[in-house]
Amino acid sequence: MSSITRQKVMRHLDIVGQIQPALHQATHAPSPDMIDNAHFRAYTRSPHDVGGEPDVSITWEEKEEEVWEHNTFVTCEVLAWRGVWNAEERRRRQNVEVGQTQYLGLPYYGRWLLTAAKILVDKQFVTATELQDKVAEVRKRYE
Amino acid sequence: MSKPHYDREHHVKKATGIGDPQCFKGEAPAARFKVGDKVRIKDLPDLFYTRTQGYTRGAEGTISRLVYESPPAEDESWDNTENVEWFYSLVFDMQELWPNYPEAYAGDTVETEIPEHYLEAV
Repeated sequence: MSSITRQKVMRHLDIVGQIQPALHQATHAPSPDMIDNAHFRAYTRSPHDVGGEPDVSITWEEKEEEVWEHNTFVTCEVLAWRGVWNAEERRRRQNVEVGQTQYLGLPYYGRWLLTAAKILVDKQFVTATELQDKVAEVRKRYE
Repeated sequence: MSKPHYDREHHVKKATGIGDPQCFKGEAPAARFKVGDKVRIKDLPDLFYTRTQGYTRGAEGTISRLVYESPPAEDESWDNTENVEWFYSLVFDMQELWPNYPEAYAGDTVETEIPEHYLEAV
């Protein structure tokens, strides 16, 4: 545990633990001198790079997957078969591009579903307006 | 922004019926390391994307298996599949990774896959 790299890794994990999303805490627009290299790395790291940062324990629950979760999985696989993304781009978008707050805050397949919609907009298969109109149309069915 | 014109199905056409990473078999340069080698994980920049866990960086591990050839995740995630390399399964001693790891569990290990360009000989 003596090398400088290992000391940096341990400090990195400590900072990452400290910047877990917190509600009602003003961290907006810090001045540049408030963000040193270690903090820049902690903020820009891939949120899925977990392991070793201080955190609280969570309850393990054995739970069957729900129908919408299976449907979401199949939808994402079909997007791969049609060349919209490969598995690694899917992981990057679901686990990293969503950012720390959504990564820790949304259900697992919620991130899958959100990302499936997002890539169709990002790659211009549908426009954001088309997607929003469709969501509005579906909502009306339940009013 | 204009719509991309590249063949967006190039990856799925290559992998269909074979699998990924199996479809990249034979494309990597000769492996630089072998089973049993001790290596250290380079602390390369992790900007935008990586799957080389932060907690392995700077640590020494032992190669237990050459697992497959693939573009690194950092490339494949943006559909860049030209630079294929060997992936190694590495075993780390938990006491090497974590300060104050309990002596009662000395001998605990963790095993994970890391691409060759992160490895340097010890």
